[in-house]
Amino acid sequence: MAILTAQNPILSARNLCVESVGAKESFPVLTDLNFSLEPGKILGLVGESGAGKSMIGRTISQYLPKGFAVTKGTLAFDGEDLVSMLPERRRNLLGRDIAFIPQEPLSGLNPVLTVGQQIKEHLLRIGLAAGENWRERALKEFESVHLPHGAALLEKYPHQLSGGMCQRILIAMAFASRPRLLIADEPTTALDVTIQARIVKLIAEMQKRDGTAVIFITHDLRLASQISDEIMVLYAGRPAERGPAKQLFSSPAHPYTRCLQLANPTITGPRRGLFILPERMPGLRVLKELKGCRFASRCPNAIEACTQTEPPLANIGPNHIAACIRTEKTPDIVPPPLAPGREVASARIHLNGEKLTKAYTTAWSPFAKRSSFKAVNSVDFSLGEGEFVGIVGESGSGKSSLARLVVGLDTPTDGRITLAGRDITANGNADRAYRREYIQMVFQDPQSALNPRRRIGSIVTQANEASGLHNSTRERMDRAAELLKEIGLPPDAAMRFPSQLSGGQKQRVNIARALCTLPRILVADEIVSGLDVSVQAQLLDLLLKLRDEHGFSMLFISHDLSVVRYLCDRVMVMYRGEVVESGRTETVFADPQHAYTRSLLAAVPPDDVNAEWSPVLAEAGYQVE
Amino acid sequence: MRMFATIAKLLVKRVLTAIPILLLVSALLFCILRILPVDPAAMSLPPNATVQEVEAMRAEMGLNLPLYQQYGIWLNKLFHGDIGRSIHFRQDVTSLIGSTLPATIELAVIAMMVATVFGLAGGLFLFYVRGTRAEAVMDFFSILLLSLPEFLWSLFLLLIFGVFFEVLPFTGRLSPGFERPLVTGFLLLDSLITGNIPTFFNALQHMILPCLALGIALSPSLMRVLRSSLLDAYQDDYIQQARLRGLSEKRILIRHGLKNAILPTLSLMGVQFGFLFGGTLLVEIIYSYPGMGNLMVDAIRNADLPIIQGAGLTYCVAVLVISIVVDSLYLILNPKLRVR
Repeated sequence: MAILTAQNPILSARNLCVESVGAKESFPVLTDLNFSLEPGKILGLVGESGAGKSMIGRTISQYLPKGFAVTKGTLAFDGEDLVSMLPERRRNLLGRDIAFIPQEPLSGLNPVLTVGQQIKEHLLRIGLAAGENWRERALKEFESVHLPHGAALLEKYPHQLSGGMCQRILIAMAFASRPRLLIADEPTTALDVTIQARIVKLIAEMQKRDGTAVIFITHDLRLASQISDEIMVLYAGRPAERGPAKQLFSSPAHPYTRCLQLANPTITGPRRGLFILPERMPGLRVLKELKGCRFASRCPNAIEACTQTEPPLANIGPNHIAACIRTEKTPDIVPPPLAPGREVASARIHLNGEKLTKAYTTAWSPFAKRSSFKAVNSVDFSLGEGEFVGIVGESGSGKSSLARLVVGLDTPTDGRITLAGRDITANGNADRAYRREYIQMVFQDPQSALNPRRRIGSIVTQANEASGLHNSTRERMDRAAELLKEIGLPPDAAMRFPSQLSGGQKQRVNIARALCTLPRILVADEIVSGLDVSVQAQLLDLLLKLRDEHGFSMLFISHDLSVVRYLCDRVMVMYRGEVVESGRTETVFADPQHAYTRSLLAAVPPDDVNAEWSPVLAEAGYQVE
Repeated sequence: MRMFATIAKLLVKRVLTAIPILLLVSALLFCILRILPVDPAAMSLPPNATVQEVEAMRAEMGLNLPLYQQYGIWLNKLFHGDIGRSIHFRQDVTSLIGSTLPATIELAVIAMMVATVFGLAGGLFLFYVRGTRAEAVMDFFSILLLSLPEFLWSLFLLLIFGVFFEVLPFTGRLSPGFERPLVTGFLLLDSLITGNIPTFFNALQHMILPCLALGIALSPSLMRVLRSSLLDAYQDDYIQQARLRGLSEKRILIRHGLKNAILPTLSLMGVQFGFLFGGTLLVEIIYSYPGMGNLMVDAIRNADLPIIQGAGLTYCVAVLVISIVVDSLYLILNPKLRVR
């Protein structure tokens, strides 16, 4: 039952400051945080990584990273200060009155315990069940999060389930005690769009049932505006703007909010350019010396006065505040014009796949019949010169398997691949050498794709080691300097190690490495997922700029439909190993023919905050391998 | 149910792969020992034997046959439980190994238990004091322990408790005058079966020093692996999530942390136990312990080929058995391995 009449906030922060203490220098991570959250309301916390979003959740639980502490202000849960509370009392609240949903559902559950063992432990601790009747209660909780086959589920281990199912289990556990406050820290970032929509809707449904107050942490402003009552945008540990969700999204007052919004590509309406936020958020260590507005160094509207004093959070409307002295200028920030599209209709076909199939067969065993599974099933595709083709679909749809066939990491079981007129299906040694000159791959995670022991200069020219083009150190360093200039990194980056670069810079290096020997085709597997929207916008425009200079074509795999819509000329929609729909991106997205494409598109939160977001919530039957 | 089926599958698979491994090892043992410049025929005759007598002996022993035929004969005998006769002891190798192997198994198993107790306790303590000043001190001691080999421990313990304080015996398995029951060959077990309590306690006293020496020497690496696996596990989200559900730190450590961190520790224990089998040698010599180690030393000193072959095969079987046991334990503790 929703408690909408209550007036007392369930959580309120007053001048809350969290700083690193103990170390030689101290610096703030959260500054002057003021907010109150009423029962039954959802507060969206939005910002780039490093803005301090997750720190708020950790402050509530008081499990702060080593060396950090609340130095000022109060944080009250139902009138009781969480910071000064006895640890025993606080621990008693956790899991019972205050619940958390983590970012990574698969690692949020203990891998060596069954689902049943874990939910039993929780139910017994919070006193919702005693003895053997935990089972009954667990099944009831599973039912409320729409998990079928609950009894079988209890015997499963987390690795036997999908991410979406694990998240449902964690949600069931979180809501079992009818908590008064729930903190969901990027609960859908690791999931597919369709699953994201279902999980978000589920959280909203449970929240309504119990009248729970929710803090929903996300980097996606569009998603936050869809489900929150109020949104707080954080910048470098301080609120930049706070206001009612719909109002804040439709008329953002702070330039940062506006920039974030414009950095994200749209899913409907005319395509527009992306606003590129320059540089990066100031590091926490320099904040202390900073006199003026934290955002001034990146703000398109900044004037002299902005760098003098820190702007206070001022009222700009009912319940709407922003820390900016020039809010009236914010609507003047407009996206740059769209880069002219390329006409590729008559272009020469580079790469062609006919009825490509890749079947995986289980390993031989004397005990079981070998079974086979088609990861890619009879896929036809082509890639023209200078063309960007997007491949979209949920995880397990065969996107990455197709990419592996294209770059030659796997050999197709059936079908034919031709590259610039030559049949390379057999994938022999000569084919590989030929293919290497034409195709290079950009891997998803720059963190693991870049060898941490090599310097950037040697990483980006790695391709030269194989081709033996220019092998002298001098020539390699010259080439590295050229490449770094193209991707917009300073020349001295060549001597650094990957760990000394930011996530966005690493992904640039990752792209530069693929471009080293000027391949005609790039295969990019989810290269912007997991990055901030600002960094994503920078990378997307970098790819477009590089295409203008070098004219390569690209197979771009992504689960983010808006990104594909912005970047790609054509799109292929994959479902269970097959291409169910393909065509010009704008045509497919404007008028999807296949039901699956429609459900993918419906799962994306709409650009218009007042439009109804109605994703297809039907659950596909779950499978256990 | 799935777990038992998977373990059964593993057992069948491992036993099947063990056969070619054993054949290969036996061939290797046979060939290498034939290449050695010792003549078993000459050795089994008195020193004053004539050349003709030696030749006759060679023919009788089949040493004139081609190598593969000799191997075939040897293998055939092996299948019938006949590893040959010791040249030096003039006794069947099977009975020699049969009387020394249980002693070594007893030593190794108890030593491993000591190592496990010390290793787990030390690892938990090292983890518990993480990030404090005590950690630096403990770290120092764990490295110090790590750098002391088992024979040094043997000598220390022998000198302190055996010679200086004279509280514990330090030679053999049993003091003179105690009755020695023989059922399985495992002295502790046999004395319990026959209800011979004085013998049991006397044998136990004899085990303390060698087992402590081996156990202490093995434990530091277990401590360090357990500590670092616990540190790894505590980086994982499920630990944080367990805290956020309000579980107590003790429960998180035992049920969530340790259950995951024990896996790498277990594989190290498997490796250690395999080594321990051949590694009791020095300790057996120091404590005059009548096990396989002492038998091997005697056999090598006297170029007693049948014993070396028999002991080599025994080690090979022991290591295979240990690895199967460890892998089954792994399957029980790690559900991820049970999938396929």
